[in-house]
Amino acid sequence: MTQTSSIDPKVTSRPTRTSGRIARLLYRNEGLRGYLLMSPTLIILTVGVIIPFLILLVISFWTRAGVGFDTTPSLANYARVVNEPMFGILLGRSFWMSGIATVATIAICYPMAYFVAFHVHRNKMFWLILITLPFWISYLLRVFAWRVILGYEGVINSSLVWLGWIKAPLEFLLYSPTAVIITLTHAWAAFAILPLYVSLEKIDKSLLVAATDLGDGPVARFFRITLPLSMPGVIAASFLIFIPTTGDYITPALLGGPDGMMIGNLIQAQFGSINNWPMGATLSIILMLWIAAVALAFLYLTRLAQARIA
Amino acid sequence: MDVKDQLHAVREGKLSRRAFNTSLMAAGVGLLGTTLQTRRARAQSATSGTYFTYGGYDIPELFVPFKAKHGELPNLVPFANSDEAITRLRAGFVADVLHPCNGNLGRWVEMDLFQPIDTSRLSNWPDVIPELVDLKGNQAPDGKPWMAPFDWSQNSITYRTDLFDLEGKEESWDMLWDPRYSGRIGMMAAGGDSWWIGAIKAGVPFDQIDTDDAFERIAAVMREQRPLVRTYTDDYTSMEQALASGEVVAALSFNSSAVALKGQGVPVAFAKPKEGALTWVCGASILKDAPNLDRAYDIIDSLLSIESGKFMIEVYGYGHSNRRSFDQFDDATLAGLGLTKNPADLLLAGQFQGAASEDFQNRMNEVWEAIKAGF
Repeated sequence: MTQTSSIDPKVTSRPTRTSGRIARLLYRNEGLRGYLLMSPTLIILTVGVIIPFLILLVISFWTRAGVGFDTTPSLANYARVVNEPMFGILLGRSFWMSGIATVATIAICYPMAYFVAFHVHRNKMFWLILITLPFWISYLLRVFAWRVILGYEGVINSSLVWLGWIKAPLEFLLYSPTAVIITLTHAWAAFAILPLYVSLEKIDKSLLVAATDLGDGPVARFFRITLPLSMPGVIAASFLIFIPTTGDYITPALLGGPDGMMIGNLIQAQFGSINNWPMGATLSIILMLWIAAVALAFLYLTRLAQARIA
Repeated sequence: MDVKDQLHAVREGKLSRRAFNTSLMAAGVGLLGTTLQTRRARAQSATSGTYFTYGGYDIPELFVPFKAKHGELPNLVPFANSDEAITRLRAGFVADVLHPCNGNLGRWVEMDLFQPIDTSRLSNWPDVIPELVDLKGNQAPDGKPWMAPFDWSQNSITYRTDLFDLEGKEESWDMLWDPRYSGRIGMMAAGGDSWWIGAIKAGVPFDQIDTDDAFERIAAVMREQRPLVRTYTDDYTSMEQALASGEVVAALSFNSSAVALKGQGVPVAFAKPKEGALTWVCGASILKDAPNLDRAYDIIDSLLSIESGKFMIEVYGYGHSNRRSFDQFDDATLAGLGLTKNPADLLLAGQFQGAASEDFQNRMNEVWEAIKAGF
C-alpha cells in the first residue's frame, strides 16, 4: 500500500465537510461504528443466508407447472405436507434418529471431555488434538469408512463370524437406521467434545473441594456440582449436533438403505429427480421451523431445570 | 501488502479510515478477480467443445480420432443421471454435445434443448446400424435425427449362480420378486431404469406406460418388492461388491457389472429373462445453443468411430452403433460378452425402452421416491 496522502497533516486537520460529518457521526454513534466493523460479516450473511432464505420462502409458495413454475402464490405445497402422511413420518423419523445420535454422542463424549478436563494436567492441547485427529479426514471418507466397518463382509461381521459368535453376518448393521445413527454419532463427536471440555474446564475446582469437605461422595458431587455447572456445554453440544444432523443427506443416502431414509433425502429428490423445486423449498422451510421449535422447547426445558436446581 | 502493518497504521492514525477502506476494497476486488479469471480460463478451454455425459464416458479412450484431429481432448464433464444433467443445464451450464438415452430423449426434445443432427457432416454415419436410429421420438424435422446412437445394451438381472436357486425354472424378472431371497435383492435407485422393470413385471406394454392404470399397477408391484430389497443404489461399484460378497444375490444391473464380476472370478450370470431384457440405446445430441458446432460434430464422429466402438465392446461389454466395430472381435468373444455379430437380433429380442415425456418422468419419480421411502 503506497497511498500515504492521508498522513499529510493538512488533509487530516481540515477534512471536507461531508467526510467531517461522517467522521463526527461515527464518533458519536457507537452502534454505527459497530455495524461498520461487522459489515463484512453482515454482507456475507445477507448475500449467503438471508437472500437465499427469502428466495426459498418465495419459491415455497409457487407450484410446479410442467417444466417451469406457476408463480401465483399458493399454499398447495404446505397443504400437501399436512395431508400426506409420508412427509410427517419422514420428518418424525429424522428427528428421532438425530435425537438418538445426539444423546449417544454426548454420552460418549462427556467422559472423554471429563477426563481431559480433570485428569490430564500436562499437554492438554496435545490430548485435544489427539481426540480431534479423526476429524481431519473428510466427512465423506469417514462415512465410507463406516461402510467398510459395518458392511456385510465388514470388520465387525468378519470378526464375529471368525470368533464363532454368529453364523451369518448381521444384516442390520448396514443399510439401516442403526448404521446412520452409529455414523452420525462418530462423525459429530468432535463438535461435542470441544464445548463439553470448555465448560468442564471452567468449573472452579474449589467448589468440588468444598462439596467433598461437606460430605458429598464422588457420585453426589458429580450430580450436584459438575453436571449442573457443565450444562451450558451440554446444551451447546446438543444444538451443534442435533440441528445439522436432522437435515443430513449423505449419511442416510450411503448407509441408510430403504428404511433409513431421512427428510434430507426427500428434499434432495424434490430438487433432483422429482423436479419439484417448490415442494423441496416447502419441505426445507418446514424442516427449519420444526428444528427451531424443537430447539426452543429444549432451551426452555433446560432453563426450567436449571432454575429448579438453583 | 501487509495486513498487520495496515492495522498498525490505522491505530497510529497514520492511515485514514478511507485509505484503509480503499485497501480493503482492493483486496475484495482482487478476490473477485481471481474467480473471474478462472472463469475466463474455463471459458477458453470450452472452445475445444464440451461433451456433457454420464460418468464413465468422460475418458480419453473415446476421443482418439478427435485428439488426432485437434491435438487436444474435448472438455469432458460428467453427470450421474439425466435429472442432474437437466438441473445443471437449467442452472446455466453450457455444453455442445449431450448424452441422452431413448428413455429420456422425449423430455429433452420437449424442453427444446436439442437441434437436429446434420448426418452428412459425420464421416462414420453410413456404418451406423439403422435400427438404432429409427427409434420412437427420434425424428426431427427434415428427416434428420435428434440423437445419433452411440452405445446400447440391455439391463437385466445379474445373479449369483451358486446362491440363487432357479429350481429348474426359466430365468425371468420374477427373480427380483422372489420372497425366498428377501433382503438380498438389489435394485437401481433411478426410476428411469427400475420403473420399466416394474412395467414388464406388471405386464404393462411400454406404449401405455403413462396411463393412470399403468401407474397404479406398476406402483403396486414396486411396493410389493420393496421389503425384499436390500438397497436401492445407482452406484454400480457398491452393487458389484454386494454381489461379490453374497450380501445381494440378484440385482438389476447393466451388463458391464456382470462382465466385471465374471472377470474377477465371481460365479454370476447375466439373466436372459423370458419376458425380454430391457434394451436401452443412448447416443449423442447437439444442444440447441452449442457454442462450438464444428467441434460438436467432431465429438460425435469420434464417438461413432471404430476405435471407440472397440473400446466400448471390449471394456464395458456394451454394444456400439457402428456395425464395423463388431468385426474387430471373433464370435466367441462376442458371445462371452452377451453380444452377437448381428446386433439387430439382440435389440429386437428385448423390450425397447420407449421415449417418455417430461410430465411422465416427474410423476413417475415422485411415486418412485415415495415407494422407496416406504409409502
